[in-house]
Parts: sequence; C-alpha cells; structure tokens
Amino acid sequence: MLAWIARGLATGRITTRYPRGAEPPPSGYQGPIAVLDSERADPALAQLCPTGAIRVDVRGGLSLDRGSCIQCGECVRTAPARFAFARRYETAARTRASLVVGNVDHHDERPARRALAEQARSLGRSIHIRHIDTGSDGAEEWEIQALWNPHYDIQRLGFFLTAAPRHADVLLVTGGVTDPMRMPLRRTWAVMPEPKALVAVGTDACSGGLAAGNGLVAGGVDAVVPVDVYVPGSPPAPIALLHGLLLAVGRLTEEVEA
Amino acid sequence: MSLATGPIELPDYLPEHLGGVAEPSPPDEVRVRLTPLAFGRACQMLHRAGARFVTLLSAQLPEPAIVGVFAIRGDLVVLRAPNDGPEPPAYTALGPWWPAARWAEQELADRHGVRPIGLVELPSLTRPDADALDQSVDGVDVFSIPYGPVRSGVFEAIQFLIQTGGEDVSRIHTRPFFKHRGLEQRFAGLPPAHAVHVAERIAGISGVAYALAFSQAVERALGVTAPVRAECWRAVHAELERLANHLDVIAKLAETTALSVGQARFQILKEQVMRLRAQLTGSRFGRGVIVPGGVRLDGRISPGSLLNAVDELERDLTRDRRLFLGTASMTDRLIGTGRLPRALVEEYSAVGPLARGSGLSTDARHERPYGDYRRLGLQVVTHREQDAMARVLVRFGELSESLRILRQSIDHLRRSDVELLAPLPAHGNGCGFGWAEAAQGELVVWVELRGGQLRGVHVASPSLRNWALFERAFPKDVLTDLAFIEHSFGLTPAGADR
Repeated sequence: MLAWIARGLATGRITTRYPRGAEPPPSGYQGPIAVLDSERADPALAQLCPTGAIRVDVRGGLSLDRGSCIQCGECVRTAPARFAFARRYETAARTRASLVVGNVDHHDERPARRALAEQARSLGRSIHIRHIDTGSDGAEEWEIQALWNPHYDIQRLGFFLTAAPRHADVLLVTGGVTDPMRMPLRRTWAVMPEPKALVAVGTDACSGGLAAGNGLVAGGVDAVVPVDVYVPGSPPAPIALLHGLLLAVGRLTEEVEA
Repeated sequence: MSLATGPIELPDYLPEHLGGVAEPSPPDEVRVRLTPLAFGRACQMLHRAGARFVTLLSAQLPEPAIVGVFAIRGDLVVLRAPNDGPEPPAYTALGPWWPAARWAEQELADRHGVRPIGLVELPSLTRPDADALDQSVDGVDVFSIPYGPVRSGVFEAIQFLIQTGGEDVSRIHTRPFFKHRGLEQRFAGLPPAHAVHVAERIAGISGVAYALAFSQAVERALGVTAPVRAECWRAVHAELERLANHLDVIAKLAETTALSVGQARFQILKEQVMRLRAQLTGSRFGRGVIVPGGVRLDGRISPGSLLNAVDELERDLTRDRRLFLGTASMTDRLIGTGRLPRALVEEYSAVGPLARGSGLSTDARHERPYGDYRRLGLQVVTHREQDAMARVLVRFGELSESLRILRQSIDHLRRSDVELLAPLPAHGNGCGFGWAEAAQGELVVWVELRGGQLRGVHVASPSLRNWALFERAFPKDVLTDLAFIEHSFGLTPAGADR
C-alpha cells in the first residue's frame, strides 16, 4: 500500500482547476459546431447534416440545433465558410430552444436558470447523483465515469454518486429512451425526492440523435420526463458535463460563463 | 505460436464436403451455396470440425437468403441458403444443439420472421420487459433477484435475473436488448462516408473498431484497397482504443475491490490515452477519422510526439502493473473467480480476451490479418488459468503488445506515401464482410450496397456473443462475485443491442 501512496505523491497534482480556472480543449477539437455566417444561406446546406440539425428558413437564415448535432463535422468539411468547430466545451443549456445557434431569435433563459438555482439552494454543497442509461452508445457512460478520475475529481466540488434514487438530487440520463427503458426511467424519476433536477446527457438524450424518428426510441428524454438541463455532445466531454451539472445545481457563476 | 502438427489434411470444410456449390470467394472467405436441407447438415459438420459460430443473418444480396457465418482455421466460412420463393428457407434450427447460435437464431426470428424447424423460442429476447421476472425458481429457499436494467453506479442498461439462496448462484439469466435502437436499419439509403457515423455510434467505446470493420466491409464489397498510410493510421487508432478499453476494465476491477489507489492509477492512464486520442484526431473516442477508402486525417501531432507519448505510457504502465499484480488483496479476489473451462468457451464460440483467458488463441488480427496487421507480426496473448485473473493477465499482456505494435505502426507510417484516401466508385454495387478485432473480441460486419448507397447492414458484435456465456460463469462463485466476473468480461451492452 505504501508503494501506491509513494507513486501517487510522485505524480503530484493533476486535477483541473475548473470551474475556477478555464480549461480549453486541445486544438482541432471536434466539439460543438458554431455557425460563422448565418445570412443568405443556400437551402441545400440543410442536406449536409445526417440528423437534420441544420435549418435554412425562407429568408435564408441559417441555424444549427446542437441538441440534434452528432458532431460528425460533415458541415464543417463541406462548408467551412459557414460552420466551424467551436473551441470550447461548455454547451449546456436550461432549455431545448437555447441549443439552437445561428440565425434565431435570442432566447433569454436567465429567468429559467434563476428558478433552477432557487430550487437547488436547499441542497447545499453536497449533491448526490444517480445515473440511468436509456439507450446510449456507451461513450457517455465513460465520460460520466471520468468525472470521478483524478483529472476531474468531481468530489472536490461536493458531487457524489448514489446507488439509490431515493437518495438522489440529480438524475443523469443517457440515451434517447428505448421502449423497454421508458417505464424504468419514469419510475426512477418519480421516486426521487424534491427538490430534484434531471440532466439529459449527450445528443441522444437531447433528441434521439441518429435513432430519432425510427419508432424504437422516444426521441429524447423530454418526450418521457421533464428535462432541467440539456448537455449536448456525442459524447459531451467531462468538462462539458461538469458545466451542465453546475448549471443544474445553480452554481454556474458569471465568470465560468464568460 | 505453434500451429497444428501432423499429416497435412485437406480442409474438411471445402464446399464439396459440406454438400454445396462453391461460389467465388474473396481472400480469407469460403463461400458455399446450399439447399436448406444441406444447410443444417453443413452447420453440424462445421461444429464437429471445431468451427466457431459467428452469426446468422438474413441477406438480400446477391439474392434473398439465410446466411450462416463460421470461423475456422483462418477462414470465414459463409453458408448461403437462398429463399424458397418469397419465404425464408426452412432449415433445421441450430440453437437446440449449439448454444452459441441460440440468441442469433432468436434475433432472426424476432426481427425478420425466420422460423427454422425446431426453433426453441425464448420469450421476447429483442423486446425485453423489465418487469417480466422468473416465474419459478430451482429449489427450496431460492429466490430470484432482478439486477438491472437500472444499475447501481454508472453502467449501461442490461438485466440479470439471478437465482440465489443468498450466496451461491444457482442460475443466472442474462437479458440484453434493453438498448436496441435499430441502428442496423439506420444505414439504409446513406452513402458509405455518412454511414460510418452510424457504425461509430453502435458501440461508442469501440467506435474505431466498428468504423474499421464497416469500412473494410465496404472496401471488400466494392473492390477498393485503402492506401498503406491509411492502414497504418487505422492500426494506430485501433490500438489506442484497445489500450483505453483494457485500462478501463482494470480500473473497474480495482474499484470493485475497493482498491481506490489502484483505481485512480489506471484511470489516470486511461485519461492519458483519451487525451492523446483527442490531440491526435480531435475526438476523445477517435471518431470521424476512419472512412471507407482510407482515413480522413493525417494525425494532428507528429509521429515523433506520438512515439514520445507511447514511451511515457509504457513507463507509467510498467510501474502501475507491478503495483497492481503485487497487491494480494486485489489478485486474491480474481484468482479462481468465474472459471470458464476451455471446452465451454469453444462451445459458446466466445471471442476476445475472454476466450484468450481460457487458452484459445483466437484473434481476428491474427486469424485473418487485415490492413497493417499483415505486416505487424502480432503475438497473441493467451492464458490457461481460465479465471478472472487470467482475463486480466491477458489484458495486461495485450497492453504491452499494443504498445509494441503501435511503435511498429508509427515506423511504417513514417515510411509510407502521403496518400490517405482511395476513391470509392460513385454508384457501386456489391456486398461483403469486413472484420476487426475490437477490445471485446472479433467483430464482423456484413454490408449490402446498391447504387452507391447502403441497403442492408448486419453486425455480429463480440459483446452479444460473449454475453451468452455469462450464465455459465458462476460454477462455484457467489453473488458478490458478480461485479468481478462482469468486469472481467469487459463487454458493452450498446454493441450487443445495436
């Protein structure tokens, strides 16, 4: 055992300072997509996307729904003047509408965020998390598990994992909700005590992703239970998840957002 | 590695022996067309000859047929029984006498309405009901515990119905398909370059292996060869993925023993690999790089920095492995746990580290080498102890082997031409198999293309095939061994359920 400890001490501190310090992704990171130019777009741009996340309205206004985007980069490769990978992890939003970027009416979700923060106030600094998989591809689970590794060490922020939904404050849901998982999801959510928050983790949980509309998945968690925070991504990186969790418990300070 | 010795015999799986007609076959395949009657007999002959069951599928090309796929001595034997008019052929069911075929046969019945003679129907394999529990138990004082589909901790959805008197596990029933998302149908109508995004998301943690097997299937179907440089990059990405998966399994086993320091060390190593993949490809899971025809990206970091990263990983791994294997509280929990005799593993046609931990030297990279593996001289790591410890030791051995062949691949990469991508014919037609050794075991993909678009895709995932063996993995083990045995299998429900 001493040898293990010596090895740990020799490694030193490797834990991120996030959210107190910024943590940008490596260069070339294929994360969320940004719309660079959203005016006078060709309607054919919508055909670039395998999940139909790109919309061009009648006036040529271009928008992209990060909740449906699987970050495959087809649009970035074909139309680099219009789309680019944004060099940031943080994409979580309180409402589904806020996931749409580009030429859209600005949606002010600050009131909804304040309400969520108010609700979470009584939870204090100790948050217990429960996870349920409703049809993910398995990558989201890896990124959630990574939050407990020494690089992210989410326990330093007071987040703990619990095996019982009756002890849980936050429910993380991965996957677009397959038929056999509908009822287990409803039950897990129903037995959690108030106040509670539900975080949809990953593009599949936000919209169904590639399986949306095939009749085998509900097409997003919010088709079955109400969602408080959406964390899009295929899968979302650990920092993106951490950002979503902080939003869910009302601990997202203005500095982190800026 | 020693091959079978003795008098040289003609392979007993030649088309004439099997009672069928030889068809033109690509390299590493033996394709045979048979009548439905001969199909069942040929399957029995292959079983007797020691073939491994791979999958059963309903194909539309080159004509509607039931196709049985088996692996034997470096070949993929493909038996094809064409439909009788509109009806699927009435062959004799394999499941009753070959447990490896039971789930595949049931899936074919559930999803394609193929009902062979003598099919033993299992209740709702592909449409599981979390509330449908065991109606009876074996013995007095035995009760049934449903574990899953909602798991404790952060795990994927699967259900185990465990019959136990408290300690001994008298029976365990594995129920996959809670995550069935219909992704095989999602391929239809997509061009290959877009369809690879679907392949990568069947099992996210093995996305590179899925993209690779799928791309190689498309290339074999259309007669395209990927450039050498692309083959080298593919091997690099595939081995990095194997490192991440094996390190994940070891970290989870340490977590299960409550050896937090060990868990932390192996999580650090895994995170190092994930970050290296992000630097190299832009994606922590290596997505968006491998496409039919080659790769889309020359690494974002130089081969020199990649080599440095490999050296650093090896240094850390060597130290942490010594600590792990020297911690008796860790190894004691694994030695003798979840023993799987070699004969049982063969009967269930299991693959991957699971099979290699029971002494089978099965590995797709070695049996039917593809891409850069034809030049890499892979050493297959096996162990004879047949328990959870053997499966961990196989993974440790494969970590070292992966690092060794990574270096070799990077060397090949430096000496290869710059070309990365071979063009696919614009309106190509064809069908074919492709395979790759995922971290969980051999993955085989069947693709059908018409007019340059995917029509049908079938995936034989290592996870589904290996999970069938789970019900036999508790010969003398108790309920608390479940987590150890499950992690030592190292499977992913997403891949099994598709």
